Amino acid sequence: MEERGAGGFRKDTVDRLLRLNFRDGRTRVNADAQLLVAELLKVFVREAAARAARQAQAEDLKKVDTEQLEKVLPQLLLDF
Amino acid sequence: MAAGGEEQREMLTQRLKAAVHYTVGCLCQEVEEDKDVQFSKQSIAAIAEITFRQCEIFAKDLEMFARHAKRTTVTTEDVKLLARRSNSLLKYITQKSEELASSNMEQKEKKKKKSSAAKGERSPGEEEAAVTENEDSNMA
Repeated sequence: MEERGAGGFRKDTVDRLLRLNFRDGRTRVNADAQLLVAELLKVFVREAAARAARQAQAEDLKKVDTEQLEKVLPQLLLDF
Repeated sequence: MAAGGEEQREMLTQRLKAAVHYTVGCLCQEVEEDKDVQFSKQSIAAIAEITFRQCEIFAKDLEMFARHAKRTTVTTEDVKLLARRSNSLLKYITQKSEELASSNMEQKEKKKKKSSAAKGERSPGEEEAAVTENEDSNMA
């Protein structure tokens, strides 16, 4: 499936991730919505990585560690 | 019975966490190349864990949004609502959803032509199953 791109989340994985957390067993996700959630998760991960990378660069570091991630996490979670 | 269900759920959780971790690893690699930085193993694991937890929030919100519209099936409208907090994110997700909708229209038209030519050898349900089978081969 081309729309997954090189390193995106698989539709099936997304479906299972969501169904694991639904309270009502009858809740389903349609195919388009699955692909869109996959896209949303991809954006989420890339944002987390990119913001942490920017933080590391602001600190003149070559390596991103959890410390940099911790600093960008609050705003990331506010944006999603 | 209940204990078995619990155990199975735990196993599924572990598998899903592993799948998320793998994908996060791939995505971080792309960012590494883009931005010329390196991610420590711990930071990748942390992003994976955050993403997994965020899925819980996404799932519960989506279920509530669908319920609010008196549906049991989550649609793209619910996902758009999920992305409402950031303007650029909403724009991006809306655009993606339109792309999906238009590609679906094309496929439907193709199917129509096919089925009118050869009176539908496969039902749509079977076709769907074939697609999921294909994707399964990538499961980490």
